[in-house]
Amino acid sequence: MFADRRIGLMLMMPAMFFVGIAFLLPVLILLAEGLRTSEGWSLARYTSFFSDSLSQEVMLRTLRLGFGVTLASAIIGYGVALTIANASPLTRSRMTALFILPLMISPVARTYAWIVLLGRTGLINKVLIGIGLTEEPLRLLFSETAVFIGLLQLFLPLMVLSLTSALENMPSDIIPAARILGANWLTIFFRLILPLTREGLIIGGTLVFTGAVTAYITPAVLGGSKVLMLETLLYQRISVANDVATASVIAAILIGMSIVTHSLIRRLTSGKRSS
Amino acid sequence: MSESQFLDLRDITIAYGAQKAVENVSLSVAQGQLLALLGPSGCGKTTLMRAIAGLLPLTQGSMTLAGRDLTRVPANRREIGLVFQSYALFPHLSVFDNVAFGLKLRHLDKTEIEERSKVAIAMVGLTGFEHRLPRELSGGQQQRVALARSIVVRPRLLLLDEPLSNLDARLRLDMRSQLHRLHHDLGITMIYVTHDQAEALALADRIVVMRSGKIIQTGTPEDLYERPQTGFVARFMGFENVLRVTSSGLVSDEGSLPFATQSLQNIHALAWRPHHVQLGQGPFKGRILGASYQGDSIEYLLDTPAGHLKVQSPAASPRYQPAQEIAFDLPLTHAISLRED
Amino acid sequence: MMRLSGFSILALAMLFLLGPFFIIAAAGLSAGDLLVFPPQGLSLRWFVAILDIERFRVSFLLSMELAIISTGLSLLMGVPAAYALARYDVPFREAMRTIITSPVIVPAIIAGLALLRYAVIPLGLPVISALILGHTALVAPYAVRVVSVSLTHLRVDVEEAAILLGATRSGAFFRIVLPNIKNGMMAAFILGFITSFNQVPVSLFLTGPGISTLPIDMLGAMEFVYDPSIAALSTLLALMTILIVLLAERLLGLSRYV
Ligand SMILES: Nc1ncnc2c1ncn2[C@@H]1O[C@H](COP(=O)(O)OP(=O)(O)OP(=O)(O)O)[C@@H](O)[C@H]1O
Ligand SMILES: [Mg+2]
Repeated sequence: MFADRRIGLMLMMPAMFFVGIAFLLPVLILLAEGLRTSEGWSLARYTSFFSDSLSQEVMLRTLRLGFGVTLASAIIGYGVALTIANASPLTRSRMTALFILPLMISPVARTYAWIVLLGRTGLINKVLIGIGLTEEPLRLLFSETAVFIGLLQLFLPLMVLSLTSALENMPSDIIPAARILGANWLTIFFRLILPLTREGLIIGGTLVFTGAVTAYITPAVLGGSKVLMLETLLYQRISVANDVATASVIAAILIGMSIVTHSLIRRLTSGKRSS
Repeated sequence: MSESQFLDLRDITIAYGAQKAVENVSLSVAQGQLLALLGPSGCGKTTLMRAIAGLLPLTQGSMTLAGRDLTRVPANRREIGLVFQSYALFPHLSVFDNVAFGLKLRHLDKTEIEERSKVAIAMVGLTGFEHRLPRELSGGQQQRVALARSIVVRPRLLLLDEPLSNLDARLRLDMRSQLHRLHHDLGITMIYVTHDQAEALALADRIVVMRSGKIIQTGTPEDLYERPQTGFVARFMGFENVLRVTSSGLVSDEGSLPFATQSLQNIHALAWRPHHVQLGQGPFKGRILGASYQGDSIEYLLDTPAGHLKVQSPAASPRYQPAQEIAFDLPLTHAISLRED
Repeated sequence: MMRLSGFSILALAMLFLLGPFFIIAAAGLSAGDLLVFPPQGLSLRWFVAILDIERFRVSFLLSMELAIISTGLSLLMGVPAAYALARYDVPFREAMRTIITSPVIVPAIIAGLALLRYAVIPLGLPVISALILGHTALVAPYAVRVVSVSLTHLRVDVEEAAILLGATRSGAFFRIVLPNIKNGMMAAFILGFITSFNQVPVSLFLTGPGISTLPIDMLGAMEFVYDPSIAALSTLLALMTILIVLLAERLLGLSRYV
């Protein structure tokens, strides 16, 4: 560690000023705008937002999808991560790479695939009609289910990766030891694996949850104007009505959720470093 | 400038925040001397070296090198070399480029850089390894690259911070004699940090013993070995049996031995080396706790009313068994007297 | 038994994550005029057709430029910041770190809207500059984080050794630190490039007629294009990304920095 504070400060300045002025400042002004009415500062925008039935519906749907996707990815994630963690080191690192890969691919491309699959003439409908489950094609697109599936595909890898790394940090002989003592798999999972990978679960969970509730592309493409989430509502309010006040309230809600989840992650990861 | 004060530290204190790691240290080194800085882990040796090199600011005090005040000279102009405890080789550069780094900064011409680097690499016995990267070398080889890198620029003062601590016993001995030869050949003034007293005794012209950030004794190897002044230095120098002198006898934290102490006024404590304790006869009684065979001698752990004593006797002498009661003596002729720590 | 069910979960998850790509790839390879799976015959005609669409060519180039410029800028600012955080006793360190990482916390769509309303409209800032500002800020936290990771692998005393051999602080930085964090910087560049290239929400409000990024153009086209061209384009993008990621993993060990 070098002692000269001035040099340190100087090196920080470009990034600080840039992010502060080009990014944070406009965002803060936007947030302030939601707290101002013609009569001065007030929470009126917030009360009217929360009492509006469409906003309530969108809020609830966003939270429902957020929690639903998080829960589903945790369940699938444990199945996958436990399998990966038991594999040989080489397979493990290849598998990990396979789960990182989709994260890098354009979410627009990733979401578009579901249009091909879920459309009226898409693969799923063809199969359903083919095996006689339905006569008419089902309306699968522009539904909450479609958004759910799209979000799950987008964010499942984050859960798998953080659970895999949590399982890798678990002492390796703990499960065989418990098996020798006669514990069954349910006991082992709830008594050993879950508590020992709690941090990984929470980190993965917050990443998936924040990703899902702040998603734009998936609800825009797979939900359309009927199945709005907070970000698509924000976009609609601006492009249809130039309603900056509502946009500002939504922004505050999204930022609030994001801050809470990120500070949770920060707390967990910094605690691990110091212990 | 008198020759005896090539490097002169005056009343130096170095603090990390509120904690003082080095306190009121004064020290001088003559030109061409090798000074060993000896002390237990955490006593402030590295801190002092880093301050001399200019990597840490002094909280208080001053220092001069060849008569010139160093305090305001930045680290890169001090011409002081430091061989780090961790080697600190440049990971992306070959052995040759590591060694040539300092010369290139001095804008010497290419042939001279090449020449001098080759000589330095040869000096530490690494000819043929010029194109290896540090990670392709063993610990001892990395160590020698670090040494070559420091001496090739001909520093006015070379600091070595426990340079042998990561090596195995054999390699240490080997490197120790190489260092000795290098010091002799090059005549560079050196400060050698170690917590191994054998290393200090073998290499140094003078030894400084530190404890908790303070210097507690300075002297030639003979001075320290024969005449340690406090219990702390005495233990470091192999006087493992240290007992305090009181009117009722010799005392340790565990108990006391009756001893005629009238003649020992103004003496704080006495100490004996293990081989000076006599077993088999004498006024005191003890019990053998354990014995370990050392080849030419046997070392016993003796339980006495004043706690445990270490005793060494020739392997040829009678053997004693654990749990055996035995008489022993602490001959005053072999004792050294100590002042308070 | 346990193993078997484990591997079937793994296989199903993989199918769920990667399967759709094979399906759009197949749909894009169709010889027919409609977006369907299974494809009607195989041909590369849509892959050729997509390259001929002027609009996508223009927005592809803009996305490329934008990704390169904003990632470059964010590294230019992020490397010194990461270095200061790793090596110096920076005043208000946590507050500063929070500000620099704030683009990760603020959803990008909000940043886009804010830039539009308070920079582009009132100050007359060109849209392209606003895009660069938004993307640079968005990528900056990644640049700082990835470079920080590689700085922790380089011990401080290596720099000190260079200084004691006569190097200045900046000399030690350029001769010793930079070559050793080069891989980390390249990894940061690739991650930043991909992040910016794929970015939709921040660009959403900042694009308009005449100036648009590729993902935004694709989103727009999805609403009225029913032929396999978008599928072909998506496939090309996915292949490009896979290629970059695999190459980066080979050369730099990219996954260490993710
Ligand atoms: N950067 C630092 N910040 C705060 N305290 C420090 C720092 N470096 C060292 N110390 C403290 O200063 C004291 C002296 O440390 P120093 O590294 O000088 O010891 P040392 O004699 O070199 O020990 P060793 O033989 O283990 O290398 C120790 O108590 C240590 O905990
Ligand atoms: Mg030390």
